[in-house]
Amino acid sequence: MNMFLFAELTVPDPNVSVILPEMIVAVAGVIVMLYDSFFPKQRAVSGAIAIIGLALSAVVLATMWGGNVPATSWNGMIAHDNLRLSFSFVFLFVSAMTVLISTVWVERENVPAGEYHALLLFATFGMMMMSAGNDLVIIFLGLETLSIATYVMAGLRRADLKSNESAMKYFILGSFASAFLLYGMALIYGATGSTNLTEIAGKIAAPNFPVNFPALLLAGGAMMVIGFGFKIAMAPFHIWTPDVYEGAPTPVTAFMAAGPKAAAFASFLRVFVLGLPLVAGVQASGYLHESWTTALAVMAMVTIIVGNVAAIMQDNVKRMLAYSSIAHAGYALVGFIGAGMAKTDQARDEAIASVAFYMLTYAVTNMGAFAIVTLLSQKNDRRTQFEDYNGIGFKSPLLAFSLSLFMLSLFGLPLTAGFMGKILVFSSALGSGNLLVTALVVVAVIGSAISAYYYLRMIVVMFFRERTTEWIAPKITTAIGAVLVIAVIGVFYLGLFSDGLIQRFSRPGAAVITKAEK
Amino acid sequence: MVGTALFFLFAGFAIMCAISMVYHKNPLYSAISLVGVFISLSCIYVTLAAPFIAAVQILIYAGAIMVLVVFVIMLLNLDDDRPLNRLRYLYAIGGGLGVVLLAQTLFVFYAVLRAPNQPVDPNTSAGKTLTIGQAMYTEYLLPVEIVGVLLMMAIIGSVMLARRLSQPQLELVVEREEELRGEDD
Repeated sequence: MNMFLFAELTVPDPNVSVILPEMIVAVAGVIVMLYDSFFPKQRAVSGAIAIIGLALSAVVLATMWGGNVPATSWNGMIAHDNLRLSFSFVFLFVSAMTVLISTVWVERENVPAGEYHALLLFATFGMMMMSAGNDLVIIFLGLETLSIATYVMAGLRRADLKSNESAMKYFILGSFASAFLLYGMALIYGATGSTNLTEIAGKIAAPNFPVNFPALLLAGGAMMVIGFGFKIAMAPFHIWTPDVYEGAPTPVTAFMAAGPKAAAFASFLRVFVLGLPLVAGVQASGYLHESWTTALAVMAMVTIIVGNVAAIMQDNVKRMLAYSSIAHAGYALVGFIGAGMAKTDQARDEAIASVAFYMLTYAVTNMGAFAIVTLLSQKNDRRTQFEDYNGIGFKSPLLAFSLSLFMLSLFGLPLTAGFMGKILVFSSALGSGNLLVTALVVVAVIGSAISAYYYLRMIVVMFFRERTTEWIAPKITTAIGAVLVIAVIGVFYLGLFSDGLIQRFSRPGAAVITKAEK
Repeated sequence: MVGTALFFLFAGFAIMCAISMVYHKNPLYSAISLVGVFISLSCIYVTLAAPFIAAVQILIYAGAIMVLVVFVIMLLNLDDDRPLNRLRYLYAIGGGLGVVLLAQTLFVFYAVLRAPNQPVDPNTSAGKTLTIGQAMYTEYLLPVEIVGVLLMMAIIGSVMLARRLSQPQLELVVEREEELRGEDD
């Protein structure tokens, strides 16, 4: 045995307390599985365990905010900053809401509850790793954990052909996108010799960085744009979205629209904004930065237009919400490009915070809307056409009024969460003062105007159409009621009193404290 | 010199097998051609002094995965793949995009060739099994743990999807089919 090799061993640097929130979620998943294997008939207990695990994780995460946590740990693989903290809260919120929404569905369709909740928790674990990962390896593994869990959840209604189609499409196209992402990561590794994002950023910033490597960097960056673009449903990689969202069980659709999208945004931001920064006077980073911001700006415009125009033509509520989620990915990209173009570190952090806040507002609104769609869809998701919503306005006023509120928030009416989210991402983009970005914001505003048609159509359908078929008002269960209350309060809270939260998201609390410590 | 000759030998074999895989209409021939690709790749890894990856390539890909693929093909008793006339225009688009991709790859090669040579340390231990094992349990400890979660979840998921349909779910299928039949009438 070669003794001298052992002398070179890297110290593993395990720091369990840093990844405690992630571990709690994963352990909760294992507990759910174990409990379910002893009591296979249970329906609610595994959900309760899941919610407790998620809540506990959120509490631990909250204590870490501004706490004494190193900025990087595990050999630089885990970053602890506002990007991680704010996005992790979004993920935990989305998962908890999904558990609550799916109570109706689990009951109605005899879903194996234990496995479903375990998959949901592991998917959350993957998302949290994606936002915390400061290493391409961690980001890829987190993404795969999330994706595989989501493929299975999309196909959970095995007796339904549409659900099978949805899972199969998502699986094949998703694997394809993952392959692109991995290839891109390999090329970036080839160009810089590291998978660690901090080191990659350092290599690119070095003035003597070999001039010819931009070819590898550019190709790698393009591949990664494709991989992440698929996950956030950015045009032209959005084709899968409507079919997958329509076929998947409605609670899973709710999860997919809010969770994985936010997770992909977190990694996307970390890799491109923090990992491939613009460094003044370095040619290579200039090339790279200019090409990815331009490409993304153009694709964001296409995304906004395609999403909004296609949503107008839909007759199925789930498909309409799928196209709306494409459009919302476009709006969030505006903030993303704002972060990429930001001139100072502070402006960059604020732009990142605006994207996180946008994903939170979208998650709150979306979860509420999908809760109602789940409740109304009945067994096998049969009632998801616009016609099925005809004239329910004054027969089920509670549902109809909250759904209208969520539609208005998705549209971005002032005083609602959606408005604040849009204002923040647009203003952070306008701060960069670039002509292309300004054009992008103009397109985004026009897109929002177009979106009024299909959001208001929903309200018109509910209140001003005659109902021809019989209407049996669905019973609002406690869990769905809780989701609706949280979502309605969330929409108003984020729309009216969001100042504190935005500052929380953008204040570089974690980083400052570690610097002072050093 | 010998290394270069071997590289071109194996690379040529890999490319030929890949073309044969795409070309054959019988899925079984395609699968066997794919095994050829994997084996020649593994030989290239050996010439690059990465014995571990070479062995894993044979064990996992040529061994486990391809056996599964062949089993599925045999069990499903697939017919020859017939071209879809409906999607003929896609061939043109695909061909065009393929040319773009090829040009991009050639550009990367060109750029790499022009790049200054990076000296290779002849005593490097990279690629040896010992080095990989050490890296896995020291520097890359966290990714290994995440892979553990990932694999467990993949098993849960596949068991869940492959399990026999329960009675209520079967009823749903019947209900659904009746509904579809009703729509057709």
